[in-house]
Amino acid sequence: MAAEPEPTALAAMALGDDDARTWLTEHQHPDGGLVLTASAVVSNAATALGALALAPGEARERALDHVIANQAQRLAANPNSPHDPNLRGWGWTPDTFGWVEPTAHAILALQVLRPSAGSPLLDGLAVLADRECVGGGWNYGNRVVLGVDLPPYAQTTAVALVALQGAEPELFVRGLTALDRLWRAERRGGLSLAMALAAFRLADEPVAREVERELDAELDRTGLLDDVVALAWTAIAAGPGIDAIRRPA
Amino acid sequence: MDRRTFLKRAAQVGVGALVVGTGAGIAAEVLLDRARRPWDASFFPPPGRPRVAVVKATSYHADLERIVLDGFRAVGADVAGKTVVLKPNFVEYDPGAAINTDPRLIAATVLAIRRLGAAQVTVAEGPGHRRDTQFVVESSGLLESLHEVDAPFVDLNSAALVARPLHSSYTDLHELWLPQPIVDADVVVSMPKMKTHHWAGVTLSLKNCFGCVPGRVYGWPKNVLHWAGLAEAIIDVSAAIRPDLQIVDGIVGMQGNGPIQGTSMQAGLLVFGADPVATDVTAARLMGFDPARVPSIAEAARFLGQGDPERIEQVGEDVERSALEFATLPQFQGMKVGAAGGVGVDAGPA
Repeated sequence: MAAEPEPTALAAMALGDDDARTWLTEHQHPDGGLVLTASAVVSNAATALGALALAPGEARERALDHVIANQAQRLAANPNSPHDPNLRGWGWTPDTFGWVEPTAHAILALQVLRPSAGSPLLDGLAVLADRECVGGGWNYGNRVVLGVDLPPYAQTTAVALVALQGAEPELFVRGLTALDRLWRAERRGGLSLAMALAAFRLADEPVAREVERELDAELDRTGLLDDVVALAWTAIAAGPGIDAIRRPA
Repeated sequence: MDRRTFLKRAAQVGVGALVVGTGAGIAAEVLLDRARRPWDASFFPPPGRPRVAVVKATSYHADLERIVLDGFRAVGADVAGKTVVLKPNFVEYDPGAAINTDPRLIAATVLAIRRLGAAQVTVAEGPGHRRDTQFVVESSGLLESLHEVDAPFVDLNSAALVARPLHSSYTDLHELWLPQPIVDADVVVSMPKMKTHHWAGVTLSLKNCFGCVPGRVYGWPKNVLHWAGLAEAIIDVSAAIRPDLQIVDGIVGMQGNGPIQGTSMQAGLLVFGADPVATDVTAARLMGFDPARVPSIAEAARFLGQGDPERIEQVGEDVERSALEFATLPQFQGMKVGAAGGVGVDAGPA
């Protein structure tokens, strides 16, 4: 299976791997993007993680420039939509709507590496507030559909908390409370556990130790189904790689 | 042309010249323009008179292996010596809702396919809402059921990918990344849940093909497909996958605000076919829908399979006598049998 930007970026952070960083640099597009391309569809969502993985320097700055230049499309104004049409966030591809996970990755990269980013960063934070599920936490990015409240998930709640790291305090606390409930209900998912561990460790929450024990057991039992993204997040969350995603004090 | 030959040939000749429109608005107009033929006819042979079997199955505790075996035999399924991928629907998991193809039916199908002589059977899915596939397949009991029949599971969201040109152009995607296990399979079996769908009216074996499209390219949810126009994307994606066989799980289906928030519907039926359009036409009729009013099915019937009920050889239970009244959202009442007026389809953001 050919190497791809997202697992390579995660592996670079998890393992401090210079070969992975070199691969990212060699596969970076001139505009800074790290992409998967399928004809008209360009998936650039891994660029933010790539920026976090790259060493300080020109390649990292170009990746951050790409993130800022590729916010999602605005939602069409729709009286039936609960979401703010003035916000953008980031999508999995730059020509669609913004969603929670790619928005969280972009916020994380900007908060850690370019906190002076200004309006794109504020827009991303506003998107997370706008997409928060009723009662706290996040799913992929739809709070309400056709008048029905949609529930939050552990994995997407965790990735949003990793991005926030205390920013938007009320939103953050509601998310932590939701995640404390969700990870227990979704403990059969390795990616959910790994990202919950990262979120709780970054927040210095004691429950992180309990999550780590559960993740260890799941890793032994299933190998996380060899999902390389889940394995890389496990290594980041449980090891020193977490410092690569820690927001500066 | 078998699916492997089709996909190989597709790779050789590249993207066809039938490029239509950009974005959902223009693409939606294509559905209304019967003068346009946005597909390469050389890749889609005339459908003939396929056979579709409707079989009673009142419970997941029934002898499903025998029922599936009989169902496949009734539609002339040929899997001997072939590599087979079963593609169920696990878009999401909620313990209280009939969202997913039941794992017991999937395990029974593995056994039935083996008894029909398949060389290899794999179960594969790429959940559309949840990135944590392990959570979905573990919590739903799918992995445990597959363990009992010693069948492997492949996550289509993380499998190796191959770029394939499209030979229909209802969207402006032109090309899709598809998982290697789907491209390499001799036979793909689409195994949807019989459900209503809050953007498409119904979700059956054609719509189920969305789960073959990898989230790590197209996102969670697979918003690129919605952005391209939902009905149009259903046609292009299913025309690229071309599932060889279908089993619609209507033992317990979903009605109302499907495919996630609806309520259970005890239909007690399985639908078997070897033509995805004919299968979906039959399943839609069983749900009380007029398939000619479901845009994705009606349009797919122009080139991808047989959409005329008069040309579908129905075996097993009588379709009209077995038809049920699946509740639907008000905007899809126009798709129901005997409804007055047209159809309102509002493809929302997800």
